[in-house]
Amino acid sequence: MRRLNWSTYAQALLMPLAAILLGLLVGAIAIWTVGGSVLTTYQEMWKGAFGSFYFTTSTLTRAVPIIFAALGVSLAFRAGFFNLGAEGQMIFGALAAALAALYVPGPGVVKMLAAIVAGMLAGGLWSTLAGWLDTKFRMNLLITTLLLNYIASLFAGYLVAFPLKEKGGSGGAQTAMLDKSVWMPKLFDGMTLHAGFIVAIVIAVLLALFLRYTTKGYEIRMLGSNPLFAAYGGVNRGRLMLMSMMMSGALAGLAGTFEVLGTQYRYIDNMLSTPGYAWSGIMATLLAGSNPIGSVAAAILLAALQTGGMGVERNTEVPLEISSVIQSSLILFVSARITFSFIKRKKARAADGHSA
Amino acid sequence: MLLQMKGITKRYGSLTANSGVDFSLEAGEVHALVGENGAGKSTLMRILYGEEQPSEGRIYMNGTEQSFSSPSDAIAAGIGMVHQHFMLFPSFTVAENIVIGREPKAGVTFDRKAAAEQVKALSEKYGMPVDPWAKVAECPVGVQQRIEILKVLNQGAKIVIMDEPTGALTPLEVEWLLKAIKRLSEQGISFILISHKLHEVLDSSERITVLRDGRVTGTVRAKDTDALQLSSLMVGRELVKLEKKHMVPGQPILDVQQVTVRGGKGAKPLLDQVSFQVRAGEIVGVAGVSGNGQSELLQAVTGLRRIDVGKVALSGQDVTGRSPFQFREAGLAHIPEDRYMWGSAKEESVTDNGLMGHLRSFSKGGILRKSQIRQTMADWVRSFNIKTGSLDTKAGHLSGGNMQKLIVAREMAHGTPFVIAAEPTRGVDIGAMETIHEALLKRREEQGAILLVSSELTEILKLSDRILVLFEGRIAGELTAEEATEEQISILMAGGEQR
Amino acid sequence: MDTLLDWSLLSSTLRTVAPLLLAALGGALCARVGIFNVALEGMMLTGAFTAILGNYLFGNVLLAILFACVCVGVLALLFGYLSIQLQANAIVVGTAMNFLATGLTAFSLFAIFGVKGQYYDQTMKGLPKWDIPLIKDIPVVGDVLSGHTPLVYLAFVLAAGLQYLMFRTVMGFRLMAVGENITAAKSLGIRVRRYQYGAVLASGILCALAGAQLSLGQVTLFAENMTAGRGFIALVATMLGQSSPLGVTASSLLFGFMDAISIRLQGFSLPTHFTMMLPYVITIVVMLFFKDKSYLRQSGRMDSK
Repeated sequence: MRRLNWSTYAQALLMPLAAILLGLLVGAIAIWTVGGSVLTTYQEMWKGAFGSFYFTTSTLTRAVPIIFAALGVSLAFRAGFFNLGAEGQMIFGALAAALAALYVPGPGVVKMLAAIVAGMLAGGLWSTLAGWLDTKFRMNLLITTLLLNYIASLFAGYLVAFPLKEKGGSGGAQTAMLDKSVWMPKLFDGMTLHAGFIVAIVIAVLLALFLRYTTKGYEIRMLGSNPLFAAYGGVNRGRLMLMSMMMSGALAGLAGTFEVLGTQYRYIDNMLSTPGYAWSGIMATLLAGSNPIGSVAAAILLAALQTGGMGVERNTEVPLEISSVIQSSLILFVSARITFSFIKRKKARAADGHSA
Repeated sequence: MLLQMKGITKRYGSLTANSGVDFSLEAGEVHALVGENGAGKSTLMRILYGEEQPSEGRIYMNGTEQSFSSPSDAIAAGIGMVHQHFMLFPSFTVAENIVIGREPKAGVTFDRKAAAEQVKALSEKYGMPVDPWAKVAECPVGVQQRIEILKVLNQGAKIVIMDEPTGALTPLEVEWLLKAIKRLSEQGISFILISHKLHEVLDSSERITVLRDGRVTGTVRAKDTDALQLSSLMVGRELVKLEKKHMVPGQPILDVQQVTVRGGKGAKPLLDQVSFQVRAGEIVGVAGVSGNGQSELLQAVTGLRRIDVGKVALSGQDVTGRSPFQFREAGLAHIPEDRYMWGSAKEESVTDNGLMGHLRSFSKGGILRKSQIRQTMADWVRSFNIKTGSLDTKAGHLSGGNMQKLIVAREMAHGTPFVIAAEPTRGVDIGAMETIHEALLKRREEQGAILLVSSELTEILKLSDRILVLFEGRIAGELTAEEATEEQISILMAGGEQR
Repeated sequence: MDTLLDWSLLSSTLRTVAPLLLAALGGALCARVGIFNVALEGMMLTGAFTAILGNYLFGNVLLAILFACVCVGVLALLFGYLSIQLQANAIVVGTAMNFLATGLTAFSLFAIFGVKGQYYDQTMKGLPKWDIPLIKDIPVVGDVLSGHTPLVYLAFVLAAGLQYLMFRTVMGFRLMAVGENITAAKSLGIRVRRYQYGAVLASGILCALAGAQLSLGQVTLFAENMTAGRGFIALVATMLGQSSPLGVTASSLLFGFMDAISIRLQGFSLPTHFTMMLPYVITIVVMLFFKDKSYLRQSGRMDSK
């Protein structure tokens, strides 16, 4: 029976691999159309992503928020909820973490823990709001999470542009700099990679174990797979939805938290929207079929494409946007094959004419 | 001969749904096609209607060979189909539903007035009154069926296939329908009735073809046969009464009092002051034409639907208004009526499907006990003879019968005092059926209380100690196993009086 | 800019509503055949870019718009192929299409124009502003109704036309039948896929027009991600308008008006954040009161209960 597992794993790997190849092929066509050398460009891309220890660690640093966002989205997708609100949840997480790190009294460790808790809470609650609107008012979660992104982004933008703006700073919309004592320790001297990466990996493993080996994880998976089956078996949809949205948002909140504590050391307006971490996270999730460990791999892949793209731009005539072309065609290929169990649930509607 | 189907064979992979089936129909004839669930009736008709292509065999109309690659071809050849689940557009008007596909036009616009007039003329011609401007969603089921028939006639059908036409109708509507079919056949329209209700078939048709396991076991004239002969052709064996141990029922386990579930605005209640008990060591069967409150009853006694009035107690504990989880905690196991909609998650593994509803006994402190689970699942697979690749196979890959056995294994394994078995053997083969029936009887001997809801009368008669008949949301009558006959139940199911 | 409300506010509402309305009509068509088109945003963005590109290539706005329609039409057919033919989840595919549009437009912006962020050419002519004879001379009304780009007028004409198409013609009747009960429509021999492809293609063309209005009508430039979520707002307008062209027009007008007001409020040196937030907040509040139709609820959720 064990042996059977391997072939399913192999199959699970085959599709993303084929997608990556096809994505690179489309990228090659794009490079060719702008007159670049495909080989050189991909060489530069590889060098930009993993060409040296420095570049490798930068890629992993960039992957950290993507991993967290992807884990959050994976959890929601697994439970059957299309949470597209990772961006807003991330923003509020980052802002709350920055504020906690700035204003909670006490030694650095206390501040740091407070920041992490605040970041998770803020992201989680913002996400739970969308879940609550769904359970209570049956409002379309996909749309509300999207709309809440804009609201979060603008509200956070207002806060750092006016009441919380750094006093006497350079004039940009940002909070004051955090005290050095709450900065995430770096993993290697002189490199950008910080301890948040370790936390991300640990949480990914924990999430995978949670989904596989706990009763709540089981309930979440079944709810996503067939909600009527879950209801039949005594799973409380409303409560479980709020819980999974809370956890999903908290993970997205951690993405923002570690960007603040590990990279920027303050909240800066648009620091999360501009690099598109949340959307990369969603892409990683789709790529990995909502599998937590797979999401980590996919997140690192996307981060590599992005940092690689910067390398391409530095050293060739091809612009860095080549990586978004590759990323999006890659995801398009995967999505064409994705048949989440929730697609074909319109049977009930066909019977509408029958039971008056 | 208007229609001849010769040597029709249809294979889906390793499964043979039809095997060398011959079928014929004369102009103005009503020809019934009977058989148990899964005998291949629907497949044969889907082939005739162009929805499926036969693997082998030919179709002739008036002696010329036809090939239908889509329903449009069949419609063009004068074949119409009234599906069991109506193919209607609820928010459109009656006239719109009837003329769709051949709408009267003025330029590019849809002339709705002309459509209404056309429908009016049609309904007068065939004596089937409808209001062309009414919304279909607001029409009763009987009228919806009338709309379907008119639609098919409007398409110019000379042959009308009707799939289980009386399944959802009230007795009055059934009576009306059978008369209408008679009238239409006198006007030259031929009918093929797919049914498993022998009495109706005997009353309304001229010839009857019986299918079993995809083969024709006989084509007989209605006036030369009776229900007994037909049922032996259908099941291929005489009905044997299972040896049931005599049990003295114990304490009431399920106690339902005055339960009412209201329908939509202005509609009749779906369940109307239903009261009954199921005691330890007895099987209570619930019979009824589907759509008379069975689903609502099941949902009410499992916590899946709120009841508006009344009380439900399980093992002496009041569980009125509680969640499905609390019902299960109070000692419920539930074989659901639709194994794919409620009973399983097709994309998940056999193991995952086996855990549902009984997490407590498979976990400790919120952690699943994987090795114990695998051990138990392997036991079930063995004892119920479930054919599966492995415990990690997706449940969707199991055949219907094996899926059902897995569900039965899951629900019987935990020795709960109360078991609901809803359509426990729907669409499963004889072997699986026997396994499942044995499991239910064994639980009865272990002092379990079982509520059996089934649309198969034979099953109800075979297993039940007492039989309740649901009609329009009410309990129309109660019979003991000794006094119950198929005929008596049928009368009650149709809303007749208990004799 | 003395008063918050004056007649020019209505005029700017008409201007801002046009792209929204065009895209929302596309969304409505798709919804009517049972497809939840999340890709409006990406298609609109592609439309905006290709309109500028077409103008740059041909030096003619009409050809530019045609070019945009063709390009976005191809994109729409890709969306249709994946979601109709391959039965992939329309939401996932739509999201991927949005990524693709962002990436492709940004890449092409550099590849073709050699710039980043935005492309602006002083010599490039945008869409003409039409003065409507007679109406332009009427005080107030003339100021509001006259002097818009042809696409603004076209948006409203199309809305009326689609209303007629859906509720009066045979084609519209069958189109709605597909969305209402696809199995039944199939069993009647209606070519379901043809209608679905048609609707998706039409939504692509409508989004191309919407994008052209953004990049050639309101301004004459292309900026990365210049649609800024309008496609999603159009999606909400579709739901709010119950996927009927008139309803969609009304809801688009509401959103356009809120947009115009928030731009106006900026003139009063209030922090712009809240004024920009307003349409989103209102959308959420509005969603609270208008329950979306079941088929949209179905497609928007991943579960069925």
